[in-house]
Amino acid sequence: MTSNSYDLVEKAIEEGNKLGAKYIEARLVKTSLNTSILKNGVPELGGIIRTNGIGIRVLKNGGLGFASFNEMTKDEMKIAVAFATKMAEATGRKRGKKIIFSDEEVHEADYKSLGVNGKRPMEVDPEEKIQRLIGLDKILAELQTGAIIPYRLFQMIDQTEEKYLITNEGAKIKSEIDLLQLFGLAVAVNPNTGSKEQMMIQKGKAGGLEALDYWKIEEYLEKEAKTLGKIVTEAKEAPKGVIDYVVGPNVIGIMCHENQGHPAEGDRILGREGAQAGESYLNKEMIGERIGSENVTIIDDSTIEGSYGFYLYDDEGVKAKPRYLLKKGIFEDMLHNRESAAFMETSSTAAARAIGYNREPIPRMANTYLEPGDFSFEEIIEDVKLGIFMQNFTEWNIDDRRYHSKYVGLEAYLIENGEIKHLVRRPNIETTTPKLWGSVDAVAKRDLLEFDAATCGKGDPMQGAPVYHGGSFMRIRKVEVR
Amino acid sequence: MPEKMNVSNIIELSNNKLNELDFADYVIETERSNRSQLRFADNQFTIAKNWASTILSIFAVKESRTVATQIEDLSAETINSSIESLAKLAGSLPKNENYMGISDGPFSYPNIEHLADPEFLDFHDKSIDMVESAIRTAEEEGAKRSAGVLLWDVTERNLRSSQGASVKSNTTRYEFSIRSFVDEKSSGSGVAVGRLSSKLDFEKAGKDAGKIAKMSVGGINGEPGKYNIILSPKVAGDIIAATPAAANPFSVEVGFSWLKDKIGENIGPDLVTVYDDSLLPNGLGSRVCDDEGHPTGRNIIVENGVLKGFIHNTSTAKKAGTTSTGNAGIVFPVNSNIFFEPGEQSFEELLEISKDKPTLYITNNWYTRFTSYVDGVFSSIPRDGMFLVENGEIKQPVRELRITDTMLNIFKNIRAMSKESIQIKTWEVPQPVFIPYVLVEDVNLTAATS
Repeated sequence: MTSNSYDLVEKAIEEGNKLGAKYIEARLVKTSLNTSILKNGVPELGGIIRTNGIGIRVLKNGGLGFASFNEMTKDEMKIAVAFATKMAEATGRKRGKKIIFSDEEVHEADYKSLGVNGKRPMEVDPEEKIQRLIGLDKILAELQTGAIIPYRLFQMIDQTEEKYLITNEGAKIKSEIDLLQLFGLAVAVNPNTGSKEQMMIQKGKAGGLEALDYWKIEEYLEKEAKTLGKIVTEAKEAPKGVIDYVVGPNVIGIMCHENQGHPAEGDRILGREGAQAGESYLNKEMIGERIGSENVTIIDDSTIEGSYGFYLYDDEGVKAKPRYLLKKGIFEDMLHNRESAAFMETSSTAAARAIGYNREPIPRMANTYLEPGDFSFEEIIEDVKLGIFMQNFTEWNIDDRRYHSKYVGLEAYLIENGEIKHLVRRPNIETTTPKLWGSVDAVAKRDLLEFDAATCGKGDPMQGAPVYHGGSFMRIRKVEVR
Repeated sequence: MPEKMNVSNIIELSNNKLNELDFADYVIETERSNRSQLRFADNQFTIAKNWASTILSIFAVKESRTVATQIEDLSAETINSSIESLAKLAGSLPKNENYMGISDGPFSYPNIEHLADPEFLDFHDKSIDMVESAIRTAEEEGAKRSAGVLLWDVTERNLRSSQGASVKSNTTRYEFSIRSFVDEKSSGSGVAVGRLSSKLDFEKAGKDAGKIAKMSVGGINGEPGKYNIILSPKVAGDIIAATPAAANPFSVEVGFSWLKDKIGENIGPDLVTVYDDSLLPNGLGSRVCDDEGHPTGRNIIVENGVLKGFIHNTSTAKKAGTTSTGNAGIVFPVNSNIFFEPGEQSFEELLEISKDKPTLYITNNWYTRFTSYVDGVFSSIPRDGMFLVENGEIKQPVRELRITDTMLNIFKNIRAMSKESIQIKTWEVPQPVFIPYVLVEDVNLTAATS
């Protein structure tokens, strides 16, 4: 980042103070991003994105104003600060209950999470990236399992994001984070029956191109493609009635994210996302209340090194630490920024994230997972008379209070008398959040803990946040399958 | 401190650099916009926002290698270095066998009415009063609290291509949505979108939201099963418009569409005719040219229930043996406005038509997800007021049901459409759609087990 950009950030704070801002933050974000898109083996596009902009947020007179700009001139900065201040004051004047921020310790910090030398996003030759992607496509195209994969789409994104955040309270946080992301869609077809099944692929990690080896991406994709082929050629109908479910890291992860992460967001609980992402079945009075069984502890932790949702200080400069969304089944922590924390007379849990210079920081998840338990995988399975083992999921959705959810299995097997049998097609868990967490009676050990990458959607305008979600394996007793 | 760059200088600089580096085909596009937003919740303003942005986008081709860049870091140095990186990137890519050129000029562009309204140049002070009036109207209908957002913007777009396109256009737009609550489970929503301030009816949106919220008080859990469903334009804009939106060759090739090999087939009843129409006055998807600089137009997608064609850019059109429909995006064809020819019934007549079958009126939905795009297998969750219709009248509010069916079944089972044509673009429906209320027969609804 240039010294001109740094100067503008610092001058923005001075300008806000001059205009009487109670609080002002200025956040400079510079992103260098490369991408490649491969459609059915053909390189559809190579792309480069370069952004450099500043977001200003002001609290004045109990109102909030935000303005951003990407033409780095003093005039643009002054216009942005003046707008944010004027509109904070104007809207604050109309509020009965004034917006305030929670008091937080002020930090100065400079941290990085970079790819290994020679593998950082801007260091790797574009040809090496596209050839790696073409290799992945070949694995799918040449699948030999009796099924074919005629529909294939891949996108790889590698980026470096530099941030510089300062506030008029003295916070000063610099960070530089590399990120690698891989997206894909593959649809397997049984040529004899025409039966089809789709698989969405998403991998993501803080770091550089070394992540592809960390994921053993070729091995992973070959295994998943073979399973997809078997699903359309071998899977049988899933049983109905009241049965047990054993779900794997991918399914636990999405359940933790949707059924407990989102409803624990402070701004949702306050109704601030009411017109968009919705509200919550949880409220402040429910803190301390039992939601799940004693086996369910759900943690959101942005400080996991190398994770997709990694940060050490949030976008309000608050130092991050693990948040216990459920502790032994009891609702404990919410995901707060300083605004929602103040409304609930508590402290921020460092969940403020802004995805880009032109977005406001709002409460978000980072890396959400179910704390592992004591069971081996075999112990979890052996006690099931009739059930389904759901390794991963395809379709899912949940109502906007996060109470009624549905997860449809992709790779899923029948369990009979403690043994895993054949593949079953699209089994479906459609149940409520308390029923789901209340029915968990066993969780597998830490060495089976895995994370998946996802993009969490929230905000208006939309802010797609990179997140991890995961777990080991868990058993859910007596789920009714229709 | 540097000075702000002039748009024509940005284009000239890019043009020179692309020529210097021997790019054969290219499109340079700038978008300078000033966008504002006012958000509210619990009847109070939560934040006011403003974005001043200038974005440079370039699509360029060198020896059939296709590359693109988007630059929001607008210094001459960054523009030059990004285009140099594009040349290096093009040199490392294999040929794109799907690329067959961009549209050749000279071009004559359509004159579209009502794309811009100078009122939005200075709208901040008015915006506060107008949003407050919508909140008040919702309260008068019985709402206890409302949340929502008003967004408006003023944009100048400039485009130049290596094949002779040179276009400048000015647009404005607004998007207002409000969601009102009587209690945590009883809610309704309203929407008002377009390009002209004179058509911005805040109070109607507030009234719709408040009225539905009030009507949904006392809701009971719905019973799963087969229903006729009457979809509001918001829901139809998602679930019914999804099928013409799937008439896209890129989506078909990658497995995101359920319309492969269906051109010429009957996919709906006679009463359904749908266009992709870039020329609609006040349409949020209306524009004079696409991302290749090709003039836009009105293209039939479904005619009397028969799938007639797909939207195209130059490459997908040549591959399909047809001509561009003026729907080029940077990577793949994109819709402008999806326009449904309205039906002949009033909303009340839709209720009456369905009086002999179990019927639900669904006012809003969200979270539409697919188990299989190629087969159109999906589910979606109704939100806000949902009601049982009995003897042609809206009666008992119900909750906690999920639409679980296939897109092709739903489109095929359209029974009637109302006379209105309402423009929709919301958080859940990002694609602009003009659509009436729609009655669909025999739709599967499921429910969670408790």
